[in-house]
Amino acid sequence: MILHPAILALLTGALLTCLMMLYAGWYGVRILRSWDLQSGSELQLELEKRTYLISTLVSYALAFELISLFLFIFTADRLHLLFTGAMCAAGTLNANGFGYPLLLLKIVNFLLAGVWLIVNHADNMGHDYPLIRIKYTGLIATAPLSLYEVYYLYRYFSELHVDVITSCCGSLFSLERPGISGDLASLPSTPMRIAFYAVMAATLICGAYFYRKGRGGYLFSALGCTAFVVAIASIVSFISLYIYELPTHHCPFDILQKEYGYIGYPLYASLFGAVVAGLGVGVLTPFRSRGSMSQVIPAFARRLTAITLILYLLFTLIVSYKIVFSSFRLGS
Amino acid sequence: MIEIIEASKTFNAGRTNQFIAVDKVSCKIGRGEVTILKGPSGSGKTTLLTLIGCMARPTSGRILLHGIGKECLIGLGAEDSVEITSLPERLLTGIRRSAFGFIFQHFNLIHGISVLENVMLPAYPIGDCMPEVRRRALELLETFGISRHAAARIEQLSGGEMQRVAIARALINDPVMIIADEPTAHLDSKLSGEFMELFAGFKALGKSVLIASHDPIVYDAPLADAVIEMRDGRIIGAGTRP
Repeated sequence: MILHPAILALLTGALLTCLMMLYAGWYGVRILRSWDLQSGSELQLELEKRTYLISTLVSYALAFELISLFLFIFTADRLHLLFTGAMCAAGTLNANGFGYPLLLLKIVNFLLAGVWLIVNHADNMGHDYPLIRIKYTGLIATAPLSLYEVYYLYRYFSELHVDVITSCCGSLFSLERPGISGDLASLPSTPMRIAFYAVMAATLICGAYFYRKGRGGYLFSALGCTAFVVAIASIVSFISLYIYELPTHHCPFDILQKEYGYIGYPLYASLFGAVVAGLGVGVLTPFRSRGSMSQVIPAFARRLTAITLILYLLFTLIVSYKIVFSSFRLGS
Repeated sequence: MIEIIEASKTFNAGRTNQFIAVDKVSCKIGRGEVTILKGPSGSGKTTLLTLIGCMARPTSGRILLHGIGKECLIGLGAEDSVEITSLPERLLTGIRRSAFGFIFQHFNLIHGISVLENVMLPAYPIGDCMPEVRRRALELLETFGISRHAAARIEQLSGGEMQRVAIARALINDPVMIIADEPTAHLDSKLSGEFMELFAGFKALGKSVLIASHDPIVYDAPLADAVIEMRDGRIIGAGTRP
């Protein structure tokens, strides 16, 4: 294993997060089996007291989970210098069979962690534990993924060997490459541009409507998720071309490098932040009339909507700026 | 009204020095009434006061506040009661600050600062504007006849004066209920009598008063509406007075 400080930080953080999640999951089973707010039993009061401790600890662990996605990408990007053939994180992730599955797993865990933090925040604003069962069911479901992440992280980093010859991003995200990366790269740019701006416009309009009227939460959340997928595909399909000013370079990782002003970080941060907030709206909507949540969720969902709209707008503005002011022009 | 349902408080649970301070106590404390918790030292009076006043949580049982503290929580209807034992500290703090005024056995006044500052202290976290808090504090000191000591330090006061400062401090946030723990323990009979007269004034203002005491001057006082007698953490007798 390469003893890089960031690798050690990622492994240690993931291990601690996993232990916390397993403990919280075990505690969640007790909650699901024994929780009875009508009871004043010693067990019930003990569960009530402990749930605040657990949710506080898990919140910190999951906040690390959010940050660790970016730390992971950053680390993969920094390590590319060690591998022959690698030009950025794309090559490092391709150095063994665990890289890309791990990235996918970390994205899934990022989204789950973000949504759980939103649900937890809403639950903590109420006084009658309205989302307690949802919260702990989510933790129980997420705990195995956390365990998988530790396993994949360990296998990925322990099997990174500097004598490996890997592929560069130009090869991985080329039009001829079979698989998802090649499919994304070969998406036609004009329809993708139309799809990108259409889905962003639909999300912004639907979000503005939900913000003003409080109706259409599910649709807005679904559009937010669609916008995320379309935006990721758009980055590979055509946005990257304007940033690199090259007609054949579709890599979604090079934009994280200094040569491109680290523009990938604000792009991805706004994208991931927006989708998590948008998902939060959809997840909270079914509980908007449950107990004290009737007073909490409408205002909280509006704030989440505003965050989603601002972040997607920011993403769209950055992309549009690069398209308009880039000296590169795509033919129709 | 406050309703206590099977409340127990165990210290050092599961250890060799486990101690049950309050053992399955159930009772009701009426609004606008003076209620006395009577009993010898170690009977659980103070522990029960801390449970009611949101300063500690029971090991089991529930405590319901009817018509008190609702403004601190969101989503409660007009008929809903506040169940304080399930609330986290951040919500309990709001209820404790706004609903209860405490008078401690040893007064717990802060030395080194003035009488006026001591009285104003509980109002700082509320966020009211300082000139208004200062006006209220001076008004209370005037009411209790100690306004001339406003700038004096606590350590310069007599026992009776300190107690009046403690009472003024308990009232600064205009609480619904005043909770006093052995308030006459350090007072002579004359001062104790004066203290009870002050409490009669609070009752006249419609405030609820809950006093824990083993002093006959307190529990035999005619202003008491209810006396709850405790021993070994349990209620052994309770009665209301006409």
